[in-house]
Amino acid sequence: MNTIRLYLHSMRMLLKCQLEYPVSFFLQALAQLVMEGGEMMAVILIIDRFDRLNQWETGDLFFFFGIMSVTFYLTECFGRGLTGNFPSLIRTGQLDTLLTRPRGVLTQILCSAVDPRRITCIAVGTAALVIGCRLSHVQWTLPKAAAFAEAILFGCMLILALFMIEAIFMIYSVKSVELVNALSYGGRSACEYPIDIYPRPLRILFTAVAPFALVLHVPSAYILEKPLYGWPSWTAFVCPLAGAVFFGLIYVVFRKAMTHYRSTGS
Amino acid sequence: MKYIQVNGLRKTFTVRKKREKGRLLREREAVPALQDISFQIDRGELVGYIGPNGAGKSTTVKILSGILTPDSGEVLVEGRIPWKDRREHARRIGVVFGQRMQLWWDVPILDSYDLLKEIYLLPDADYRSRLKELTEALQLGSLLRTPLRQLSLGQRMRAELCGSLLHRPGLLFLDEPSIGLDAVSKLALRDFLKWENREHGTTVLLTTHDMEDVAALCSRVMVLGHGKKLYDGDLPTLLSRYDTVRTVTVRFEQPDILPELPGAAGISREGDLVRVEYSPQMIPTPDILQGLQQAGTIRELTIQPENIDYLIASMYREMEL
Repeated sequence: MNTIRLYLHSMRMLLKCQLEYPVSFFLQALAQLVMEGGEMMAVILIIDRFDRLNQWETGDLFFFFGIMSVTFYLTECFGRGLTGNFPSLIRTGQLDTLLTRPRGVLTQILCSAVDPRRITCIAVGTAALVIGCRLSHVQWTLPKAAAFAEAILFGCMLILALFMIEAIFMIYSVKSVELVNALSYGGRSACEYPIDIYPRPLRILFTAVAPFALVLHVPSAYILEKPLYGWPSWTAFVCPLAGAVFFGLIYVVFRKAMTHYRSTGS
Repeated sequence: MKYIQVNGLRKTFTVRKKREKGRLLREREAVPALQDISFQIDRGELVGYIGPNGAGKSTTVKILSGILTPDSGEVLVEGRIPWKDRREHARRIGVVFGQRMQLWWDVPILDSYDLLKEIYLLPDADYRSRLKELTEALQLGSLLRTPLRQLSLGQRMRAELCGSLLHRPGLLFLDEPSIGLDAVSKLALRDFLKWENREHGTTVLLTTHDMEDVAALCSRVMVLGHGKKLYDGDLPTLLSRYDTVRTVTVRFEQPDILPELPGAAGISREGDLVRVEYSPQMIPTPDILQGLQQAGTIRELTIQPENIDYLIASMYREMEL
């Protein structure tokens, strides 16, 4: 409870900071819109060529793109402290300051930044979801809404954990390791499309290693009423938990890594 | 049991060397930052922690404040192990880094304090009375609504101090707090630290290169070099060891007197001023004064010890730092 209050208080203050420079904020938000809008155009063009991919129709593909966009950019918006701000926390030694305060390190990292410019990306994602639902004639029910909420929530945890892997490498080497981006950004780009269109190695990667397929695709397929690999419908509620498990595992490693934190300068 | 107990503290950093030609992996080199440091500090002490750059001062402070984990050795602050009970420890300490801002850059400092209240979970009434006390002592009242970025360096340091003391820590770490401050701000900072120490019995560990700060504030100094503790005691005793040259400047009633002082290192005259250099270890100051009085009627006299920074520099030289 205290943690949530601290987070909200921090967010209020950070937003106030950002609005100190309103023109810059507006222009950057616009730039994001152009970027993510372009991404969606690419998807539309691809969908247009194929009309359908395996069992997935146009509307379904919009839905997959939308759920990934919304999840990824929600994480980048509210988890900015970890996804974008962490390298500078390490390099400037600002992490020291966080360590001398009586709150959890991860809490404070998340409280250190917010990126409201991503709201335009989230809007594009939401638009894709709405279009997808329309085209595929999705009938919303309570279980479907629950599966959707689960997918978003645990999806955010999964993405946050992927960025945490990068952070762990940074704690050891102070330099950012771009290789790890392959999982986070790469995962986003690959898993905008349903997992079953990919060859086996990629399927394994995004199911067993970075479980985007379990967290986002299984519930999405359930909502679209075309079960992934023909799995029973209860899997749509259980599989997303993989995101929480993944987060838990990485968090343990992160805690361990923090004891090796070396700080910088005087 | 002492307030702070440090026993056999060691910390080694591994630094990766530049890759040599023809080698695939970079060699690693172990750089010892602290080698077997031990000391004790009582509650309410003001301790100066000095030493040349890279001696390990900051590393010690970072370990004591729970930021770094040492390789071996024991640290207990009020019975807490800083890096193990980090959060509980953080509630009871304040840390000010001279080169690192803790407050938020773009918002009024009062907003920063409000967020700190949330972070430390301070009760309303307690927070308000403490804030009032500190803003008065640090003369921050008129600046509370100003964003940090618009403050001068001296104002910013005062604001930082206030922020780090809101939760009434019993122990305050200051890492080069007076770096870059002008004379007025420096004096204000010293007065405030004395006040905080006297009023609340706050224990202060001050790392600095500013020997004037140490002389004005600290009853005790610890000298660190190459990761080892080289001296622990009061400053005058330390300085007397290296106090080899003092200068007496005299103006006599009759302008052409040049006294004879056996044992003085040098006597010279510039206009109507006579300058005598001597070593207090070779010849006691009273003897010099007596000799001068016998030479003629003195109108004006000043004795100057060697600049404290020179003393420290010659100390570092002798200790081969």
